[in-house]
Amino acid sequence: MSHPHDDAIEALLRKQFDGPVRDEGFSERVMQRLPPRHQRMAWPLWAGVVAGTAACWLSLMFSPLLHAGWRDWVSGELSAPAMTLLLALAAMSLLASWWSVAEADDR
Amino acid sequence: MADSAAEARIDQSLVARALLGNDRRAFEQLLRRHQGIVRAQLRRLLHGDEAAADDLAQEAFLLAWRKLDQFRGEAKFSTWLYRIAYSCFLQASRKRSWPAGDADEGEAEQLPAAPHSVDLQVDFERAMRQLSTAEQTVLLHCVQLSLSHEEAAFVLAMPLGTVKTHATRGKAKLKAWLAAWNETATEEQTS
Repeated sequence: MSHPHDDAIEALLRKQFDGPVRDEGFSERVMQRLPPRHQRMAWPLWAGVVAGTAACWLSLMFSPLLHAGWRDWVSGELSAPAMTLLLALAAMSLLASWWSVAEADDR
Repeated sequence: MADSAAEARIDQSLVARALLGNDRRAFEQLLRRHQGIVRAQLRRLLHGDEAAADDLAQEAFLLAWRKLDQFRGEAKFSTWLYRIAYSCFLQASRKRSWPAGDADEGEAEQLPAAPHSVDLQVDFERAMRQLSTAEQTVLLHCVQLSLSHEEAAFVLAMPLGTVKTHATRGKAKLKAWLAAWNETATEEQTS
């Protein structure tokens, strides 16, 4: 519901506003200063992911904990190494989800 | 309403063209479509300083070009531009001696009593300047630039409630001033 005085005030405010400014070469000046846009390169990110995964895999491949955990997990035995492996996988999944959500928010 | 939706769709497709094909001509079209109103916004914020307003508008459009991939289409393109222009204005006013636009507070002094001038428009301009900076800024965006309260809150990075309060308070002050002005004008006519 609008009060007649509100309308009068709004009309005065609108009357007082000069409206859009004429271009008069402004756009051309801006276009002349427009820098080339750098596309964000995706390869460093993927190279990092691959290198990190490889390093992680190499360091864990010779760990007896991983082998014991994997063996127990496959045989359905919830031993300490199997639980550790499961928890590590869960933590990594959570981190990956959080990172994806954060990245999506920034876009 | 339909016009505004169509305009928003045109802006969206120009943004997509500018982003996908790195199409400078699409951005130029966006620039030509919106430069007038962004410059008008900055001129009001800078109380008519045209040169400074144009410098800031240029800065705002260059920033918009660089950050175009961050435009998510949640707000209208023009609203997004107003927000960039307003933050350029805020940054510049912190560096220079312009009146800070983010002055949420700083209640204005009492509006002048009923003026004796017959020129309503000139007096109204004077009355506007008596409002707090935040009230002036909110009225500029909500009434003169025809943004909704939600859009103004987005542009000014203010809570919605604060925007509504400033709009109501600013209008109430101007209303009191207008009533006093009308009384004086009537008295002047009868005497």
